[in-house]
Amino acid sequence: MDLLNNLGINGKLLLAQIINFFVLFYVLKRFAFSPILKVLEERRKKIERGLADAEAAEKKLQEIEKKEKKILLKARKEADQIIRKSEAQAIKNGEIIITESRKQAEKIIIDAKKELAEEKRKMLSDVKQEVADLILLATEKAIGEKINENKDKEIIKKVVNNL
Amino acid sequence: MEISLTPEIIFNWNGFGITNTFLMTLVISFLIITVSFFFSRRIKSTPRGFQNVLETILEALLNLTDSITENKRQSRQFFPLVATIFIFVLLCNWVEIVPGLGTIGVYRVHHGEETLTPFIRSSSADLNVTLALALIAVSAAQFFGVSTLGIRKYAGKFLISPFRKPYVVGTFVGLLEIVSEFSKIISFSFRLFGNIFAGEVLLTVMLILVPYFIPLPFLFLEIFVGLIQALVFAMLTLSFLKKATEAH
Repeated sequence: MDLLNNLGINGKLLLAQIINFFVLFYVLKRFAFSPILKVLEERRKKIERGLADAEAAEKKLQEIEKKEKKILLKARKEADQIIRKSEAQAIKNGEIIITESRKQAEKIIIDAKKELAEEKRKMLSDVKQEVADLILLATEKAIGEKINENKDKEIIKKVVNNL
Repeated sequence: MEISLTPEIIFNWNGFGITNTFLMTLVISFLIITVSFFFSRRIKSTPRGFQNVLETILEALLNLTDSITENKRQSRQFFPLVATIFIFVLLCNWVEIVPGLGTIGVYRVHHGEETLTPFIRSSSADLNVTLALALIAVSAAQFFGVSTLGIRKYAGKFLISPFRKPYVVGTFVGLLEIVSEFSKIISFSFRLFGNIFAGEVLLTVMLILVPYFIPLPFLFLEIFVGLIQALVFAMLTLSFLKKATEAH
């Protein structure tokens, strides 16, 4: 006991210090540690969640980009195909049109030639008839009398035709 | 100048001698309690200013605790006690760098001589404080040991039957464990007391010998010593708690 006294250890003071420490412990735990730890924990969770979200978003973005590329590639392919198809179609169509028009032109030319020949023939026969009539008239006038009309006509026609 | 191993009594209150160290303890407790009250009202999820400082300190302590316990749940259990010890001891230690240490006080006639009774004396330079802390730390170790392992298993650490495997050796080791629990109290209290008391004496003597500039490096040294001793006390407590909760 003498040793303790010399070291200044005093039961009352010791007890007072212990009580004081427990009061401090309670106050700090209740008003400082618990709320701060809670806040820290919450913040840690929030940050973790944020990071996870960011990662997910990044992943999704990459996926979308991939999809976009795929779609674009597909569209380009399709467009190419369509263009090629339509080009082929156009060439084919043009050929068809050209051959058809050529055919038509040929037909028109042939028709025109036919018509022309017919016209010529008709005109010629008309002219022959006229000439025959004229000759008949002239001969009548020259002879002064009417010959057998029908017989004459036939003869003249034959002559004219043989001209 | 008189250097006293024991804290000086400033006044008596109902037969209870209020010492300068007890006064300092009260001041520190008042400070901590006020700050905690003030602080708890304005904790925000987005920290600002003072909250940042506190959070940084507490988070560093928590990480340190985690690294020693390697168990999140257990470090949550130990953290309040260890952190309280750290903060309290740190502030007690740093009282010694407060200006006026050992110089402001009242003159009293003591043993026929007029000596100065200083008001300011580091609480850690009082064996009552360090012994109280040591008792709390060691009792807490017993408490956590019993509550996690159960009383039978925990007692089995100390009381080993001489008829089991290592026979008498085991019993002897158990006895040594009991002795070591008590020696922890002494080593805890005297380590802190010795360091801080020596620092105080050093600072007082330096101040009296060369009042200007020369004490400055010693002041910085004492800031460092105070921090280290607080950390040592807290970490040793933590490691004892950890050891007490582990089965053999």
